[in-house]
Amino acid sequence: MLAVGALLTATVALAQDPDLARRQAEAAAEIAARAEEETVLAEGEGRSETFAYCTACHNTALIRRSAFTRDRWDDLMDWMVEKHGMNPIDGEFRTTIVDYLAQHYGPRARGPRGGNPFLD
Amino acid sequence: MPGYKRTERSVAELYRDDPERADALVWGRRDTLKGAGLAAMGVALGSAIPFARHLPSGMLPAALAQGTAPQFLQMEGKARLILQGERPLNAETPEALLDDDVTPADKFFIRNNGSVPEPAGDPRAWKITVDGEVNTPLELTLGDLEARFPLVTARLQMECGGNGRAGFSPQAAGNQWGNGAISNAEWTGVRLRDVLRAAGLKEGAKFTGHHGADTHLSAQGPAISRGMRIDKAMEEDTLIAIRMNGQPIPQMHGAPARLLVPGWPGSLSQKWFTRIELKATPHTGRGMGGTSYRMPVRPIVPGSRNNGADFADMESMPVRSVLTSHAHGARLPAGTRALDIRGQAWAGDLSVRAVDVSVDFGQSWQAMAVAAPPNRHAWQRWSGRVAFPSDGYFEIWYRATDSNGRMQPHAAANWNPQGYGANPISRAAVLVG
Repeated sequence: MLAVGALLTATVALAQDPDLARRQAEAAAEIAARAEEETVLAEGEGRSETFAYCTACHNTALIRRSAFTRDRWDDLMDWMVEKHGMNPIDGEFRTTIVDYLAQHYGPRARGPRGGNPFLD
Repeated sequence: MPGYKRTERSVAELYRDDPERADALVWGRRDTLKGAGLAAMGVALGSAIPFARHLPSGMLPAALAQGTAPQFLQMEGKARLILQGERPLNAETPEALLDDDVTPADKFFIRNNGSVPEPAGDPRAWKITVDGEVNTPLELTLGDLEARFPLVTARLQMECGGNGRAGFSPQAAGNQWGNGAISNAEWTGVRLRDVLRAAGLKEGAKFTGHHGADTHLSAQGPAISRGMRIDKAMEEDTLIAIRMNGQPIPQMHGAPARLLVPGWPGSLSQKWFTRIELKATPHTGRGMGGTSYRMPVRPIVPGSRNNGADFADMESMPVRSVLTSHAHGARLPAGTRALDIRGQAWAGDLSVRAVDVSVDFGQSWQAMAVAAPPNRHAWQRWSGRVAFPSDGYFEIWYRATDSNGRMQPHAAANWNPQGYGANPISRAAVLVG
């Protein structure tokens, strides 16, 4: 009984910690603000332009997890303009970025789960 | 042993670089498995594959599926969730952490479209506005809500609209969720319909539009603002929630008040909820229209371009299951011949009629026991025992069937550019011995 009582008290204390909400909000902001180096992206022509333009809004996880054809990367430029208020991107600059993304983050063979749990 | 290690790598790398050739080399183009291929695969996995001959041609063993090693969230008050992205901050709950019947706060997945707002100074003074097609627009504090309307409590599943997206091939845009963007907490709040009736719905109130306090990452406008048909807003289980698991709602999950629209895409369950509009026409906020939270009515070619004009809004989520007793990659003692397993299953607005499990790549299926939900829109516990004929590499395939008889399919169906509705049969790899 004592053990159960202590456990309950601990749980309630954790959940009602008046400062936890603030600390979690700060932790989320800290994670979001975590500095990234350009080199987190694959090396290649257009990397600097891609890194600079894209990370104005989001970090590179959205790029690194992606595996799209050139057409789909191109569509996503318009989608971000239309739906997410990105400054329109055209001409040579757009070509540079879309070419870079298509070359380094193109389609790849994937399975239903990531990695091999019995190796590595 | 360097030579052994090289062999392991070569098979895995072959699958990554040229899966068709790997398939031909390892499995053979014919239906029967070549001796050399079996040996190669066995070396790659470090084990024999007793049911290898039943693995459909072209399917990779789950353990050989390619992907980068996941990164994990480290945050006070949160479990070791799979980090999907830092900005916006998104994190998925590994299936094996979903074993609790009531999802605790630390194991609740994190989905943000924008920035996490600062905590409210005085939660009871938080205001919620009801306006648009109503007779009497309302502005209610949380104190008013509790005083004026009955509080109800229920276990409600709430799932990201993109849950399962990683199942799509070719890849769809968005967080590459496995099955872990799902929760089943115990929510307390007031029924949205009670509040809407207090405001008095006009004849033209056919749709809702939801608003919250989080801002878009570009700092321009709201993070997301979605809406639904009025029928769902008037359902018994659709709540303005003010407590989760008997406690104030955690900041990461929408404190101090959020909508809870169980069974429908989680984006409707507006976090940091501030306002609901009643509208005569569908809402046009960020996250509405085009390919956002919308799916093809006439199926399209996977990977093709489409602006979504003919798509329909995603409503009730499809049937899905998770295995919670054993993690993908679990090692079991040599000689293990029977294994008790369990998990959870749910089906949007419907319930789950059956869960079946296969450990021989789908050659035979075995019915599991499925418990009734404690209330509508709660997920359901499934459990049972499977048998292994030998030591070696096995995959546990688990498949739920909803109350209309629809099963999880073998492959993600109805591909769409932003990847909604993927609910293929899940596969967890286990190694006996």
